[in-house]
Amino acid sequence: MAGGSVSECKEYLFKVLVIGELGVGKTSIIKRYVHQLFSQHYRATIGVDFALKVLNWDSKTLVRLQLWDIAGQERFGNMTRVYYKEAVGAFVVFDVTRGATFEAVSKWKHDLDSKVKLANGNPIPAVLLANKCDQKKETSNNATLMNNFCKEAGFLGWFETSAKDNINVDEAARFLVENILANDKGLPYEESNGDRIKLDQETVTAESKSGCC
Amino acid sequence: MAAEDLPSEFDVVILGTGLAESVVAAACSRVGQRVLHLDRRSYYAANWASFTFNGLLTWIQEQNESQTEEVRDWSSLLEEGEELLHLSDTDSASITNLQVFCYTNEEDEEEEAESADPLNTTEEEKPEEFSHDVFIRSDFQTVTFLNQSQAAQTPGEEPEAARPHPSAAQSQSEPTRKKLSYAQLVKEGRRFNIDLVSKLLFSRGSLVDLLIKSNVSRYAEFKNVTRILTYRHGNMEQVPCSRADVFASRQLLVVEKRKLMRFLNSCMEETEEQQAYNGRPYLDFLRDQQLGDNLQHFLLHSIAMVTEDTPTEEGLASTRHFLRCLGRYGNTPFLFPVYGLGEIPQCFCRMCAVFGGTYCLRHSVHCLIVDRDTNRCRAVIDSRGQRISCSHFVVEDGCVGSDRKKMATRAVLITDASVLPGESDQQVSMVTVPPAAAGGPTVKMVELCSSTMTCVPGTYLVHLTCQSTGSAHQDLSPVVTMMFRTTESEEPGNEHGRPFVLWCFYFNMADGSAVEVEGHQLPCNVYVCSGPDGSLGHEHAVKQAEFIFHKILPDEDFCPPAPNPEDIIYDGDEGAAGQEENQGEQEIYLQNHTEHNAEEEEMTPKTTKEKDKNQSRPQTHRNTRSMQH
Repeated sequence: MAGGSVSECKEYLFKVLVIGELGVGKTSIIKRYVHQLFSQHYRATIGVDFALKVLNWDSKTLVRLQLWDIAGQERFGNMTRVYYKEAVGAFVVFDVTRGATFEAVSKWKHDLDSKVKLANGNPIPAVLLANKCDQKKETSNNATLMNNFCKEAGFLGWFETSAKDNINVDEAARFLVENILANDKGLPYEESNGDRIKLDQETVTAESKSGCC
Repeated sequence: MAAEDLPSEFDVVILGTGLAESVVAAACSRVGQRVLHLDRRSYYAANWASFTFNGLLTWIQEQNESQTEEVRDWSSLLEEGEELLHLSDTDSASITNLQVFCYTNEEDEEEEAESADPLNTTEEEKPEEFSHDVFIRSDFQTVTFLNQSQAAQTPGEEPEAARPHPSAAQSQSEPTRKKLSYAQLVKEGRRFNIDLVSKLLFSRGSLVDLLIKSNVSRYAEFKNVTRILTYRHGNMEQVPCSRADVFASRQLLVVEKRKLMRFLNSCMEETEEQQAYNGRPYLDFLRDQQLGDNLQHFLLHSIAMVTEDTPTEEGLASTRHFLRCLGRYGNTPFLFPVYGLGEIPQCFCRMCAVFGGTYCLRHSVHCLIVDRDTNRCRAVIDSRGQRISCSHFVVEDGCVGSDRKKMATRAVLITDASVLPGESDQQVSMVTVPPAAAGGPTVKMVELCSSTMTCVPGTYLVHLTCQSTGSAHQDLSPVVTMMFRTTESEEPGNEHGRPFVLWCFYFNMADGSAVEVEGHQLPCNVYVCSGPDGSLGHEHAVKQAEFIFHKILPDEDFCPPAPNPEDIIYDGDEGAAGQEENQGEQEIYLQNHTEHNAEEEEMTPKTTKEKDKNQSRPQTHRNTRSMQH
């Protein structure tokens, strides 16, 4: 795929949020998925906005996935709009060994839906991750209950994941991207963002060549 | 999300999330200071905020509700040699004279025909304050003008509302300009981003420079202001300001084009001729250039944006600044942030949080604990009664009861058409409206189209600003009446004429330009950030933030570039991580690439066990979804 003709390849950039309570393993999941790393030691996330994962989805589609971690200290739930805006998908993470983190899932989902929507007004696709499943006590989770919860809370689905043992992380991401792509195809291009300006690109127009009058 | 306690020790505590406060927060956090950033409000950006339509309605209501401050005795938290200094907890004086007017139908007529119960169509979107009568509370100077169909529902305090109205019949014969109803504004409310302040970014101004320098620019996107307009002799005219504009202009005579080009070229350099006018009005200088009325008007009001009595040296400096800003990003000197100005403080807050800053809204500081001997603030007591020690405290001006001498006047209009319809309906216009009478305030107007993501397609968001001479409505309603139509207009029949105002609100806001950073009888390590100033650019807030930062950290770099996310090297060796940095929380080494070619250099002494080699770093990031074919 590398070096393939650019004109034939559709390239997507998707902003995906990773949210959930303190210490549920958001950063570990991102690091596992993007950098194939896992560290036992928990530390708050400093200096990292998002991590980029490039997926060769199929022969005609390249997906750049920006995974936005919540800054470790935004833990009081007061996220800036900068974090939410123009996101097209989300993982909500909880820790299977700590019940309270599951109870907070609905709050996070509600916050998510109130802060960001797709262009058509629908909620952005969200997948629930039951993380640290490697430490799970036997049958502490009921699949039927979880399915019902997802249906009620508006999650596309749920995965038992372990960033430590690399369980289901890729699968969950694949599931979310599939849904984002499906949404994308259903949506008309409602506007061209082409004339938006990023300040790090020095757009030198003909005007500046001619000097400032 | 949990209601856990805050840590009890920080380097810098900042109260208020306005622009200057947020820049200070990001700057301090970036160089390793532990920052606690609080706001007593439920939203970011203080008086710099932007709101959805529904959020704005809530904000308007809140302005009317007086908060009662509970005074409690915190002396039990004091230690030897300390005393308490109470902060003012309300900011009631910063917004005054708020008035709301609604000129559109409450319900959409077609919807009413289709569905027996149109309210059902708005389900979740419908806010509690949907009903109009929130605006008609007697203790609150707001009035609603409704069309005839709603007159019966409103208390009979407005005789105008009861007057028979021809506009409903008119709009049916003009289906192309069907007005959005109030219900639709509410339903589409989340697509509005209505700023409390109206400012623009000069493309070579200090805010643009800071955004680029710090890499905070990665969180924001901008639109060019596409044209400069001015209101003259009852008409809206486009101001030619670039070479291309001058050549293309149809309103200028050939001789005027030559004169203007000559003037614009010559004014860039200081000449003896100009110096001779120092201290004398710029208008005199322009008159003596024999430019004619047209050009004189453009240069004075739209390019220099000064008044008739501004001294020549100041007028020339403004003219040069304007001209230098042309062409960096487009044909006008100005940029406007997509999603509104309220994004900018939040971008700096995000940067602060990414570097470890702690954020808490709906959380305030009641008092400061001051060391009697040194007159330094040792700690603060937050709204939960927790003592939080800090080395420096930064606070918005509303909390220290600073004098508000200057007020700015504001009006925000949602209209159904552009003030100067052009080939494209997606224009962002900066409009200068010279004083109607000599000595009156010059009105600055910014008209935003839907692609700025501040209003829904089919509407325009118009921001008017001037220096306050009376109440906001007194200052600006004559201008609104002159350029727009409402249901009160004398000749409402002219559908193709002036834009119709669907909804608008007026208010006065404290102008922070005169507020000093230090003094106020505060401890020496307490710094005051002023609210928004009345000028068009952001120079004041950026300068103030940099000043405060250097007061706090005289030897540190102000907002060095944040590393690119893809340049961050993850170090798997946990043992080494703790000893190098004594912060204990650091798990990631940051490799700071300031230049694109820096990737080749060995900048980090640390082992780079894992670096994703298969990801070539793109030249730019788009934080948005983008598709290329």
